[in-house]
Amino acid sequence: MSEKLQTLIIEDEELARNLLRSYLKDQPDIEIIGECENGFDGVKAINDKKPDLVFLDIQMPKITGFEMIELLDFKPQIIFTTAYDQFALKAFELNAVDYLLKPFSKDRMLSAIEKVKHRIQSGEDTAEKLEELSNYRPGEEFIDRVVVKDRHKIHIITVDQIRYIESLDDYVMIYTNDGRHMKQKTMKYFETNLDPKNFIRIHRSYIVHVDHIAEIQQYEKESYIVILKDKDKTKLKVSKTGYKKIKETLHF
Amino acid sequence: MSHPLTNNYRLLIYYALFWVVIGVTNLIMLTFFYNVPLTYSLLDTISTFVIYPLLGSSIWYSIRYNNLEEISIARLIVFHLIAASILCGIWVSLIYALFKPFVGEGNDFLKNSLPSKIFGGYVMYAVFLVFFYAVNYYQSLKEKVKKEGEYVALIREAELQALKSQINPHFLFNSLNSISSLTVSNPEKAQEMVINLSTFMRYSLLHNEKEMVAFSRELENIKLYLSIEKVRFGKKLNAEFEIDAHCLEAEIPNMILQPLFENAIKYGVYETTDQVTIKTTCECDGNALKITIVNDYDHSTLKRKGEGIGLRNIRKRMEIIYNQPDLMKITDNKTSFEVQLIIPQKQNLS
Repeated sequence: MSEKLQTLIIEDEELARNLLRSYLKDQPDIEIIGECENGFDGVKAINDKKPDLVFLDIQMPKITGFEMIELLDFKPQIIFTTAYDQFALKAFELNAVDYLLKPFSKDRMLSAIEKVKHRIQSGEDTAEKLEELSNYRPGEEFIDRVVVKDRHKIHIITVDQIRYIESLDDYVMIYTNDGRHMKQKTMKYFETNLDPKNFIRIHRSYIVHVDHIAEIQQYEKESYIVILKDKDKTKLKVSKTGYKKIKETLHF
Repeated sequence: MSHPLTNNYRLLIYYALFWVVIGVTNLIMLTFFYNVPLTYSLLDTISTFVIYPLLGSSIWYSIRYNNLEEISIARLIVFHLIAASILCGIWVSLIYALFKPFVGEGNDFLKNSLPSKIFGGYVMYAVFLVFFYAVNYYQSLKEKVKKEGEYVALIREAELQALKSQINPHFLFNSLNSISSLTVSNPEKAQEMVINLSTFMRYSLLHNEKEMVAFSRELENIKLYLSIEKVRFGKKLNAEFEIDAHCLEAEIPNMILQPLFENAIKYGVYETTDQVTIKTTCECDGNALKITIVNDYDHSTLKRKGEGIGLRNIRKRMEIIYNQPDLMKITDNKTSFEVQLIIPQKQNLS
């Protein structure tokens, strides 16, 4: 390869950044094009600079390395770094992505870079792998927030802000009290990862937060609609199984 | 389990006294109310209330090795009938041997009283049986209560052990990574950090031995912990202390504060890009040490899930040590998070 690998370091701790920089300093085929201290800046830098390689720390302020992946328009080669996170490790192993456990040696880092170079040469597509990684949740816990990006701004939506989610082909629209946000995730993902005590899949196209349900009305003989508590009194269709689930969750 | 009468002298004395009283009563009744000759009264009393109780004490063995729950009722009855017969046989033979020198040949006294003696022997067996079952039951009950007490103490100990905070591996590996970086850029600082980390770890290992430490020591350890974290986080972490000097002698459970600061760093410093201040204030209020730890946090990035496992463990540990609820108070002001610990003191500090 003649061109240098355009490399970005995303890491919140200064000392950890210093170490990576000093390891990479004498590598002729690596060029560091930037460093970011948090996930917000990281997303912007990747989308703007389109690097070949990113060193990405998992635990960072604002948003985690995993959440960042969901917001990328451009998917570079990524080498993850983490100190100790059993869930992350499991995700890395299962999805065969490159990662470095802190503290790591220079040799270990170089061999990770070799693998990346190999992948670039063979033209392997990593986007799908990263997609799977971001969908994979090894922990038993339900998600407590969702990160979204509208044009150039990143929002963190805690799940209690979500009123309902609507399916739009490959995307979902998340409705909150102060707006709506599009996200590239499946309904299935939200159905399995949101706490079913609070969220019910009432229809093929809708997941609703129980606290926002104002009433349930019979619409025709065997079909119902949910009316939400908002100003517009939003009406959402309820399927047969959806109605059953509402009954089970709300005990009526 | 050894024989209750040899094992417990008080019981043996009561046992002897009981038969002496009954024996003497019997002697008096026979002699004065039934006008039986003194020799006969004496012989009768000795045979029934001295020899039988001596023989009868062995009945304990017949129940000792026959657990009521393990053996069927029919077998138990057969067993005791055989045992009672053997005992009565031995007893009656002994009576004969005892009476012989005093009673002439052909005297009907023995012959006439034989059926009632044998019957009495069986009845006495039953009475002894009940007595020993009662003793046995009482003994095993006492033992069970004692074992249960030991068990509860053991559980308490194990619980306390489990509730003590362990060093977070995340903290450890990140610190090691900082050291790895410093060895390149600033070896002296790297050395200092290795030493600080060692001191901190040594202190945290100490809590396997000691439950309580002086507050001054715990505080020193916290400052050490914060200095290690400060190397990692730099300006982002700002720690302030306001400690009343006479609080330093207070006693405090070992490593009870560290998880609170770890929490403050995890939710405060880690989740934001701005500087976060962790402010610690301490005052002594009569018989209690009051420690308040406040940290800012960015509530837009996460929904606090109430009490995490770290805080819950501290609450539980405090409850076990002081046997008192509500020694930990948590206040979430949306922009800052406050934890207050009240540590009861044996001595008045103010």
